[in-house]
Amino acid sequence: MAMFPVISNFQYDFVLQLVPVDSENSIDEVAAAAAYHSVGRRVAPQPGKVVRVRRQGAVEFFPRTARLSETDIKPMETLEFIFCDA
Amino acid sequence: MALLERAEWYDIARATNWTPTYVTDSELFPDVMSGAQGVSAEKWEVYDEPYKTSYPEYVRVQREKDAGAYSVKAALERSRMFENADPGWLSILKSHYGAIALGEYAAMSAEARMARFGRAPGMRNMATFGMLDENRHAQLQLYFPHEHCPKDRQFDWAHKAYHSNEWGAIAARHAFDDLFLARSATDIAVMLTFAFETGFTNMQFLGLAADAAETGDFTFSSLISSIQTDESRHAQIGGPALQVLITNGRKAEAQKLVDMAIARAWRIFSLLTGPAMDYYTPLEHRKQSFKEFMQEWIVGQFERSLIDLGLDLPWYWDKMIAEFEYQHHAYHLGVWFWRPTVWWNPAAGMTPDCRDWLEEKYPGWNDTFGKCWDVIIDNLLAGKPELTLPETLPIVCNMNQLPICAIPGKGWNVQDYPLDYNGRSYHFNSEIDRWIFQQDPVRYRDHMTVVDRFLAGQIQPANLAGALLYMDLAPGEIGSDAHQYAWVEAYRNTPRNKRIA
Repeated sequence: MAMFPVISNFQYDFVLQLVPVDSENSIDEVAAAAAYHSVGRRVAPQPGKVVRVRRQGAVEFFPRTARLSETDIKPMETLEFIFCDA
Repeated sequence: MALLERAEWYDIARATNWTPTYVTDSELFPDVMSGAQGVSAEKWEVYDEPYKTSYPEYVRVQREKDAGAYSVKAALERSRMFENADPGWLSILKSHYGAIALGEYAAMSAEARMARFGRAPGMRNMATFGMLDENRHAQLQLYFPHEHCPKDRQFDWAHKAYHSNEWGAIAARHAFDDLFLARSATDIAVMLTFAFETGFTNMQFLGLAADAAETGDFTFSSLISSIQTDESRHAQIGGPALQVLITNGRKAEAQKLVDMAIARAWRIFSLLTGPAMDYYTPLEHRKQSFKEFMQEWIVGQFERSLIDLGLDLPWYWDKMIAEFEYQHHAYHLGVWFWRPTVWWNPAAGMTPDCRDWLEEKYPGWNDTFGKCWDVIIDNLLAGKPELTLPETLPIVCNMNQLPICAIPGKGWNVQDYPLDYNGRSYHFNSEIDRWIFQQDPVRYRDHMTVVDRFLAGQIQPANLAGALLYMDLAPGEIGSDAHQYAWVEAYRNTPRNKRIA
């Protein structure tokens, strides 16, 4: 359990944001934390879609249930949050 | 007694080089202060300033300029400009004074360095006048807003901004320290007077003077026109310095200084002048879009100055011109959304007519930036203003100290440009910002952005209230929407698809 800041680059938003999460959060929980600061504020909700997480520039998404601490994501790394079909 | 014409004595009077005997030449002009780049004193003596003046002439003209600016102010003190002006215009005044007034004092210090350590006698002479110019500008731009302080505390930030850790003030200090306070005399001639002043102060001073006159604020119009006449004179210090460097085989070094300075200046002006011209100035008073202004002054005119001097266009020229389309829109959206963290009240500039104008000037605006504003408008109409306020920090560029931002919506192209250096991760807004860092990492590596300070525990409590405390933004100074959201009413009962004409 440790505070783990990541950088959110949320699809369709205009700015990178600081998102403090916990090292034991799942990737889905990290996505929800990032969405809190973008969706419904400057990004229109997309009902029926899920938000997947990938490293900036990567094609593959991280597994949704993986713990942050189980991945090789580093603190203050920029992650892309992308709307995907559920 | 008959006086000689200036041209008959000027060259002799300013030939102030001599051969020191008590100290060595390098002690008198240490390279770290003069930045002569190994070009000898004799070779610097060919420096020929295009604008020549004597001290009596300078004082006479400056006295007339001051008399003009102060007379207009005195005559219009009962004009009720403050009470009658559009709130967006007052926001331009507040942001301008806070960002510029004490920067002028910094520029005075830079001119003083050229006056003492400039390698060419003509440079030292011109810089002496430049130093006096900058002192005048600082005093004018502190005195003029002072009359508004009793009515509006945000005007106090004309003096306060640079003494605070407000994020825009940190960005301005970082840029001005880099461009001219922590530079040698030669670097200052190139980076401050040539790149920053010849290239960019026209943006703020000529562009805003026109908008001020259109708006009816003749006090501000005459003030900044008066300042610009000084700028256009002492900005000419840099051109002949570049000629000396290029002639003596230092083109690559000169080019690098120019490229770094233009990039840094562009960021400052896209933050300060872009939103002022395209959003804060009431629609009916806008003369040109910011993009049109940049194309006229930077692409049309400054580009020619670079070529005429024998320089190349910066390697990133096309990238910068591409940014004319979007960067200031992104900064505007960021400033408005994080509005409690600025010392002025950002004007959204978002009526349906404003959006039509933006779409006309920037085709595709509604599908990009307009998408974010649609969500903001929906939240305001739904009575959820809390969703139009921030609950976290934007990531700030390790070079320009401004949020890393770009195009949202259908043109989404936001990207981090990271760099690992000596075990620390840095984040940049563009390849250009990262390139500047890479030119001299030791110079920049230890600076902490607002986000770095937050993560290091320097901002307590670790929330918006703590951030406002850290930035020294007191109640009555914290920014809010300039028009108290009155513009939102135009969208009530208007379906989304009717918002875009």
